[in-house]
Amino acid sequence: MITKFTQLLGAGALALGASFATAHAAETVKVGVLHSLSGTMAISETSLRDVLLFTFDEINAKGGILGKKIEPVVVDGASNWPLFAEKAKQLLEQDKVAVTFGCWTSVSRKSVLPVYEKNNGLLFYPVQYEGEEESQNVAYTAEAVNQQATPAVDYYLAEGKKKFYLLGTDYVYPQTTNLVLLEYLLSKGVKLENIGGGFKRDESGKIIAAGKYTPFSHTDYQQIIAEIKQFAASGDACVISTLNGDTNVPFFKEYAAAGLTAEKCPVVSFSISEDEFRGLPAKQLVGQLGCWTYFQSINTPANKKFVADFQAWLKTTKAPGVVKEGRVTCSPMVLSYVGVYLWKAAVEKAGSFDVDKVRAAYKTGLSFDGPGGKVTTQKNMHVTKNVFIGETKADGQFKIVKSFDNVYGEPWLKGQFKAK
Amino acid sequence: MNFFNRTVRLLAFAALTLGFVAHAADSAGAIIAKAALAETPAQRIETITSLIGSGDESIAGLLAAWKEDALFVYTAPDGSKIPVQLSGDKDDKDSQTATRVDSGKPLLSPAGKPLRLVANELTAVEHTSALRRAMKAVLDLLDLSTPDLKKRISAIQTLGFAQDAEKLAALQARQKIESVPSAQRALREAIALIGLKDANPEVKLASLQELTALHTIGSADALKAALADAEATHHPSLAAAARLALNAVESHLTRVNFFGTLFRGLSLGSILLVVALGLAITFGLMGVINMAHGEMIAVGAYTTYVVQNIFGTGLALSPFGFSFHLPSMNTGGWLYESYFIFALPLSFLSAALVGIAMERTVIQWLYRRPLESLLATWGVSLFLQQFFRRVFGSNNVQVSSPSYLSDNWTFHDIIFGWNRVFVIGFAGLIVLGVWLVLTRTSLGLLIRAVMQNRNMAACMGVRTERVNMLTFGLGSGLAGLAGAFLSQIGNVGPSLGQSYIVDCFMTVVVGGVGNLPGTVVSAFGIGLADQSLQQILLNPVLGKITVLVAIILFLQWRPAGIFVTKSRSLEG
Repeated sequence: MITKFTQLLGAGALALGASFATAHAAETVKVGVLHSLSGTMAISETSLRDVLLFTFDEINAKGGILGKKIEPVVVDGASNWPLFAEKAKQLLEQDKVAVTFGCWTSVSRKSVLPVYEKNNGLLFYPVQYEGEEESQNVAYTAEAVNQQATPAVDYYLAEGKKKFYLLGTDYVYPQTTNLVLLEYLLSKGVKLENIGGGFKRDESGKIIAAGKYTPFSHTDYQQIIAEIKQFAASGDACVISTLNGDTNVPFFKEYAAAGLTAEKCPVVSFSISEDEFRGLPAKQLVGQLGCWTYFQSINTPANKKFVADFQAWLKTTKAPGVVKEGRVTCSPMVLSYVGVYLWKAAVEKAGSFDVDKVRAAYKTGLSFDGPGGKVTTQKNMHVTKNVFIGETKADGQFKIVKSFDNVYGEPWLKGQFKAK
Repeated sequence: MNFFNRTVRLLAFAALTLGFVAHAADSAGAIIAKAALAETPAQRIETITSLIGSGDESIAGLLAAWKEDALFVYTAPDGSKIPVQLSGDKDDKDSQTATRVDSGKPLLSPAGKPLRLVANELTAVEHTSALRRAMKAVLDLLDLSTPDLKKRISAIQTLGFAQDAEKLAALQARQKIESVPSAQRALREAIALIGLKDANPEVKLASLQELTALHTIGSADALKAALADAEATHHPSLAAAARLALNAVESHLTRVNFFGTLFRGLSLGSILLVVALGLAITFGLMGVINMAHGEMIAVGAYTTYVVQNIFGTGLALSPFGFSFHLPSMNTGGWLYESYFIFALPLSFLSAALVGIAMERTVIQWLYRRPLESLLATWGVSLFLQQFFRRVFGSNNVQVSSPSYLSDNWTFHDIIFGWNRVFVIGFAGLIVLGVWLVLTRTSLGLLIRAVMQNRNMAACMGVRTERVNMLTFGLGSGLAGLAGAFLSQIGNVGPSLGQSYIVDCFMTVVVGGVGNLPGTVVSAFGIGLADQSLQQILLNPVLGKITVLVAIILFLQWRPAGIFVTKSRSLEG
């Protein structure tokens, strides 16, 4: 009871502190938050803004970093990729932020990348991505392909699956991920004819695209479901889905209506986390799989405290535009949270906010015990973390069925796996 | 030393195995209890595998509980370990009744009283994927005799695809007593599939002939393997038979795909028809370029969402700073599932009312100015989208499909999803209804009169204002019905209408503006063309693009659409 009261006091003090922030500019450090707060991506990205604000408050309540309080500068990328670059420029050149936490889609990251490289800024990127990139100006707390997609394949292989159907939304992340997965599956001895979804080849016969792709907000999945049903007719088949956001609703409704179940042909989705279930019918997905580096259902004291603290913060926060009801925590949120603490650790080790010094400190293998377990930074700007596979339950939470500990984040996977 | 160790281990293993044999008369529960207490995963798997052949009905429940982490080991005060299953409701201390796995009786304290245990204080018995596979093998054999037909067929198929000769006896035994034709067919397939792996070429040949006769889709993979095998071992007669069987499967697939595509085309056409019919009235007959048509669809979809929640647990909304709670009826079972039946007329009514309000406030001033009506209705559309965001939030909302819309009939491997069958019938009923209203009622007569010549009708004493209002209401209401159905197959969100508005205009324009039969023909034409192209090009995006290009070319050739209507209201 008393701790709760002090927490409340702390939050109140913080709110006060924030309003005096400009008056005491010397005692604060500016930190950029660059997410879409409007447009199509706002549904997902506002949750990251919320958790970042929560983390800053939590750190400030404990005295800040190097004696300085964090002063967030929140800008809106508005789901508009060129605008992301402009906002990044504003953060770096006008506001002179020490670090930025932001971006969700790969295309927004690609858009701001030149800005960060030119100004030698530092961006923390928290959402699963396709790899094949290693900038000195980006700290990828995100899941690399080998921290999400290949563990899922390992799980399927252990379950005795022999046929794999690849399906995704038509943009850079699913396309690249599926190409890596194709190589990985072939290296595991899966035959090419047992990989479904079709291939596109260039003139020399080399495969340049694998899997079936549908556009954003596609609605008619009848044909694809019929194909999957025939593909799965001989048993031991599964689907690997990189379908994005709301196309999952028509897909899974049709999937269930065609009599396909998780028992017959399970689907592992890389884009559905707890947060997405706020707009998805979880009942139709029961038993289907998710693969992330964090689930809200992780049963550790650290995670329980994190979830409870976040909920308490939601109740008391005065930040504008924060939805307070029905909130959950999910992997991108936790990776944002962890990113802030890793940056804090790097700053404290470097004893300075200077980007070059912070980066050098960041690369020395700093660790932080987050809600999803221990994460450790690596030389290649990625992080080592635990990976979990969970089964969807009717309440939109996941039951963890398998975990992989301390998976090294490896961005360069294309061409790494040789077919047997 | 090493050797000695190994011998001891071997001996221990042998003793263990003997132990199982000696206890062959143990109940299934006792065996599962032993497996739960086994020390290594290998022992566990072995113990579980020993259940094969047992027909004990308690196995399924116990193994399911194990897989779901509901099996625990309880350490009694005297130190002995007892596997228990927790069940029943939790009381205020979170404790549940415990049943002993080995005997199926309640767990008793030393004093002889039933014990209640708390799940969180016990550790669940572990399971690895290898163990789960072993359990599945046991369950599959057990499921061979389950009364649930779907489960039984699935178990038979699983055994067939595994092509494990050891399971042959169990399948043949089942074949003798199986009475349901579909299960009988699955048994024949499974036995033939296992026969493909037989060492005797004659058995192989007979199996191939059997599979040719059955030509099931699922056997294709095994047949390909058998063909490769026959070619590798230079066995021409077997290879020929395998090729014959593969051809039979492939021609069956071609048939399935042909009729499947036809059905999917019809269902897509029906969806287009349902969403476009309202627009065929507001745009086609009345000449209003109604950009807010999509939002009328969304009104219907949100109405379904609200009705579903009233039938369920109620709904808390906080639009514009007010906060209120819609009452809940807390129904369950079939009554809850019937919400959709009630949602249909309510969606029609709510969308019709919104349409009428829109007609009274905006459109009635714009009948002679089509361009202004475009801009004004677009404004209304933006306004309504923002309204949905404020009331229901910018996230999509969840509408769950009732069970009678989320299953299917499978006839000769062609899937007839109930939701799709429903929409085809639904489209037919709506078209029939609209046709009856327009041709058999006095309102229909007035509508046709006003749409053909507004001034003349007014001179004849028709209250054109009122007819305009009702016609617009009818068109909007039809859009609402479409929304109620769309909530069953897709997303319900503020931008729902946006994803259909282009399709709607496309259908109406291709059919010929002002012509209802044209809309019907064009909807089915576009639907069939889209699905066939998808099937041929194997690419959903290319299919749609090809259809759009074809439509543009078609409109170059026939700018007025399939059926040309001569109407003064359009020129005026």
